[in-house]
Amino acid sequence: MTIEKINTENLILYYGQKLALNNISIKIPEKKVTAFIGPSGCGKSTFLRSLNRMNDLIDSVRIEGKVMIDDINIYDKNIDVVNLRKKVGMVFQKSNPFAKSIYENIAYGPRINGISNSNQLDEIVETALKNAAIWEEVKDRLGDSALGLSGGQQQRLCIARTLAVNPEIVLMDEPASALDPLSTSKIEELIVQLKEHFTIVIVTHNMQQASRISDHTAFFYLGELIEFDKTRKIFTNPEKKQTEDYITGRFG
Amino acid sequence: MENYRIFDSELDKLRDRVFQMSVQVNRQLIDVVAAINSGDLELAKKVINNDEEINNLDTKIDKLCQKIFALQHPVASDLRYIMSSLKINNDLERIGDHAVNIAKKLESLLDYPQLVEELGIDNIGEKILALFADVLSLISSLDITFADKILDKADKIDMDCKKIIAKIFREKLHQPEVVEVSANILIIINLFERVASYSTNIAEAISFVVDGEIIKHKKRT
Repeated sequence: MTIEKINTENLILYYGQKLALNNISIKIPEKKVTAFIGPSGCGKSTFLRSLNRMNDLIDSVRIEGKVMIDDINIYDKNIDVVNLRKKVGMVFQKSNPFAKSIYENIAYGPRINGISNSNQLDEIVETALKNAAIWEEVKDRLGDSALGLSGGQQQRLCIARTLAVNPEIVLMDEPASALDPLSTSKIEELIVQLKEHFTIVIVTHNMQQASRISDHTAFFYLGELIEFDKTRKIFTNPEKKQTEDYITGRFG
Repeated sequence: MENYRIFDSELDKLRDRVFQMSVQVNRQLIDVVAAINSGDLELAKKVINNDEEINNLDTKIDKLCQKIFALQHPVASDLRYIMSSLKINNDLERIGDHAVNIAKKLESLLDYPQLVEELGIDNIGEKILALFADVLSLISSLDITFADKILDKADKIDMDCKKIIAKIFREKLHQPEVVEVSANILIIINLFERVASYSTNIAEAISFVVDGEIIKHKKRT
């Protein structure tokens, strides 16, 4: 049986006067990969960012409706946003390692969360790097600057950094769009492995990527959720004509 | 609102080729039925010789589908169309083979025109042509009403074939003078029945293109 991890109810989001998300209700299952697809400006990244309140950082944003994670509305007044973002981690399109060593990039989060025991930190760093499938490549140079890593390695480092604080949900906004095919396939393989422990939500422009790695796919268009179903269904026989037109490239 | 896609020209090419294939197979069926009705061995020979052209087209369609799968990564209705084209192509090629197999049996019938008439082989041939006319219409129009007509006609042909086969077993196989020709007629009837059966496969494949449902193993009501 699938358990819902995230459940949005009639989520509406405005940028100033502009309606960016119109009444989005979706139930995202736990420990699965859910992909958001849609043309630029359809609201998929905005929606992703509303799942850990990254949109709070934008002044003009106004949000109505609910985002329930484990039955708690993350927009309730008493929610600690820092704790929320620990539970709901995020990986961005452009890898953004700190200008620090590989080790420090990973240890940073746990350290500000109060872990100072170096054995414990070592263990966290190793586990996170292993979970992000980059341990073998960096284990002998943990003291080197993270900026010396390749693009694909930097992105996996950022995933490791996200995993180091033990999130339950990992949001990924185009995590492989700036990478070459080999690095992309490593990230994709990693995402599929990660769903054993984490709920993954990924925004991607690359429909083949969505079809390869996700269990469920949501198609957004003009701020609306047009169709949400098993990925296999979406890519073989979608219900809505708009979905069909978009995924077959007839759109626009 | 519709975009032109590079893909569309490939799809058009595939559509043309599948249609071309169905037209050629239709020609083979028309000729083999005419050859049986008239005892025209030359026409039968023509059918046998034309098979190579159909085989070439079969290979071309397979290659084109392979290319589209590899390079265009079709999804949704495109995916279903290309999957079905592969199957339809295969079915058409088999129907073409059966037309040839029937043509090869013609010579053995030549001395028994009365038996051919009595058993109604010409009648089955005409029904096969009417059935295949619907197959052509279905392939060119994707109008699913033809699929239902095909399934009905194929059922009737199947029943007719069974009746003829029963009659041969009942009345002919114990007559030494017609045993051999009767056995050949049995084979021909069986081949016609296979043509009808492949036609229903095509109807099912096109239903899958149109509505995405796999109906081939569903019981019809």
